[in-house]
Amino acid sequence: MRSVLKPVQNWVWRDRTRRGQRLLRFAEVEADGGRDLVRAAELTGDARLRRLYLRHASDEQRHAEIFRQRGMELLSGGPAAQTASWQGDWLTPGERGLDDVQVESGRDASLLAFLHLSERSAARDFAVYRDALTHDAESRQVFERILRDEEFHMNYTRRELARVSPENQHKLLWRARLSRLWKAYLRFAVWLAGLISSVILTLQYFVLLPPFAWLVKRAERREPLGWHDTSSARSRDLDRQY
Amino acid sequence: MKILGISAHYHDAAAALLIDGLPVAAVQEERLSRRKNDSAFPIAAIEYCLDEAGLEPDTLDAIIFYERPLLKFDRVLTTLLRAFPHSRRAFAHGMKNMLGEKMWIRGIIRAELGVPKARILFTEHHQAHAAAVFLTAPTRAAAILTADGVGEWATLTTGTGRREPGGGTSILLDREIRFPHSLGMLYSTFTAFLGFEVNEGEYKVMGLAAFGRPTMADQVRKLVSRTADGAFRLELDYFDFHRTVRRSFSDRFVDLFGPPRNRYQPIDLATQDGQRFADCAASVQLVLEEILVDIAAQLRRRSGLPDLCFGGGVALNGVANARILRESGFERVFIPSAPGDAGCALGAALFADRIHFGRPDRDFPDHPFWGPAVDGADLARIAAEDGLEVDQADDDRLIEESADALVAGKIIGWMEGRCEFGPRALGHRSLLAAPHDPAMRDRLNRDIKYREEFRPFAPVVPVEQADRFFELPPGGSRLAHFMSGVFPVRPEWRERLAAITMLTARRAFRRSTRYSRRASMPSFKPMAGARTFRSCSTRRSILPGSRSSAAPRKAIRPSGGAGSTC
Repeated sequence: MRSVLKPVQNWVWRDRTRRGQRLLRFAEVEADGGRDLVRAAELTGDARLRRLYLRHASDEQRHAEIFRQRGMELLSGGPAAQTASWQGDWLTPGERGLDDVQVESGRDASLLAFLHLSERSAARDFAVYRDALTHDAESRQVFERILRDEEFHMNYTRRELARVSPENQHKLLWRARLSRLWKAYLRFAVWLAGLISSVILTLQYFVLLPPFAWLVKRAERREPLGWHDTSSARSRDLDRQY
Repeated sequence: MKILGISAHYHDAAAALLIDGLPVAAVQEERLSRRKNDSAFPIAAIEYCLDEAGLEPDTLDAIIFYERPLLKFDRVLTTLLRAFPHSRRAFAHGMKNMLGEKMWIRGIIRAELGVPKARILFTEHHQAHAAAVFLTAPTRAAAILTADGVGEWATLTTGTGRREPGGGTSILLDREIRFPHSLGMLYSTFTAFLGFEVNEGEYKVMGLAAFGRPTMADQVRKLVSRTADGAFRLELDYFDFHRTVRRSFSDRFVDLFGPPRNRYQPIDLATQDGQRFADCAASVQLVLEEILVDIAAQLRRRSGLPDLCFGGGVALNGVANARILRESGFERVFIPSAPGDAGCALGAALFADRIHFGRPDRDFPDHPFWGPAVDGADLARIAAEDGLEVDQADDDRLIEESADALVAGKIIGWMEGRCEFGPRALGHRSLLAAPHDPAMRDRLNRDIKYREEFRPFAPVVPVEQADRFFELPPGGSRLAHFMSGVFPVRPEWRERLAAITMLTARRAFRRSTRYSRRASMPSFKPMAGARTFRSCSTRRSILPGSRSSAAPRKAIRPSGGAGSTC
């Protein structure tokens, strides 16, 4: 599958701005992973695992910094320089994605299985990206440096899984694989649902909303500027949501 | 009576538990999840609060959410309709977001906690801000001012609060300014323009302002004009936040202030662009201060009360707070440890207790330490497991050795008791360093906090010695109680406190600094001629972008690795 997508990867990584933005996204993912691992270190009762999680977290943070620095280098000199200012999501901020690692106390074995598969998958992806970056030696070097750590992460998670749960290790790995598949399905389903709802809502916007928009704009013109007196009766009723 | 307050789904989700009118626990979700400004439904924070009190959810008498979801939906929908047809993309995005989760708060609370519908209550956003500041302040009657980006509709409210010992309480917010006219939005638009993250980087704008001159104040005044009744309005042609989710300022804004900063490039104050950004920050800071001082002065005249309780995210602006205290006519200004949305969890619970249920007034403990506690035995066990050296010392030796370490140029990670509720490190989860060497400031910013060179640090001094180091106006030590004010360092101390001073070009190179009080600090011995320490949160000492740790296991290792001493 990955070799089939190689031309796509070559196209994706060819553009300097796209390359920079992707590296910055990777930086966020790595930093987020580091925070999850610190949380796992906090919750585990196994001192050896705590040390390994903290080392892993520290690696992830270093990776985030490496990705971030290279991404910023690429974007600071590129054509996006004048438009790359951070834009806040004013109307509806505050969402969390599907990919949160559920770090729960007493679940070291399943977390190790999940981490092992994630690291293995990331290592394979990073190898593909490295190979696609034939024209950018510095970015290629970034992936090479990170791949060395990924190998350690893959190995220690597998080894510790065997130590922590010798009986169930294979079952846990299969369960983690199914869980990854399920999350991939959910990601796709959410994307598809988002697409469909965007189309429906946009249609509604142009078909149903114009008269309401006209009414609202008319009301806005009548609205006084400055201070508004508030209704204390409404404020005191805590049962209502409106 | 047991009341749980919740704030969530915008930024800084939190939970707070009141039992018989007094707080038992309050914590931001980010302290437990480690996600900075975590906005998710605060289930971990709720679990902590309930565990702290040994309660099950079904024993709660009421659960109160910090805003009214349908009123908020009304504002979002109306705003999108007003911007028709330019809001087509924002409409789909906004509706999916609101209809997906934020509209169904009652259902979410019922599903998560299994409590009956009748026990779930809703306060207005600014009511919760007002309660969070007035009902936690040591005053019986005060004028109340709240200001933030936006709640449901209100962006700024004024009113009064009164409470009788053991008797009734009233909070009357009688006037408000409504979205999209918002001082918080104005400031956040500049935060975005200057390349910082909105709802997080506003304090960076305030820090950057100290390095600029308000040369563009007149341009900023074009964005925000005063109305005849003493309020203000934003000139919406300069903004885009009311019609798109992608951009907060319009092309006209860019015509006025020049190209926005590329957030991927560091701010270099030696360059023309770097200075322009600092001047933009200084200009918006000045205009914000002018408007706030004027509105506060109006409120002083209307209320006739000597005390002001100031809440909402804008109250995190310590420079503006100090000007309000100096120039508005109020004798005392109270700002809680969590004036932002996290504090609304506590405010909503207090509002339900005192106003909705009409329970008698109780004096609120005047400290911010309502989060998870550190356990020394737990720390020692973890350190032993990891092969780290553990030394148990009595207070005298601990303080003496800490002071010696600070004089020797070391950085100390300090944890004690329960963690702070709110964004400030107020001594229970702090990094301590000596305040005299500017190289220490640079080292802290670069190596420990991983942040920009212009970011300031707060000094810590015994409250009775504050006047010795800082030019405090009357009431200044109270304002500084939760690190809420920025005051000038006395000239004779500026060189010796170089690491905690920042140049303010606007004041002709006078130096100003933050000041905070920490009650237990008087026992520190004098060092380097000054009984002053500086403090910053451990929030970035663990991993950049993560929040300060509430638990010892999270703090013990990485901060040591980053070059500090635990």
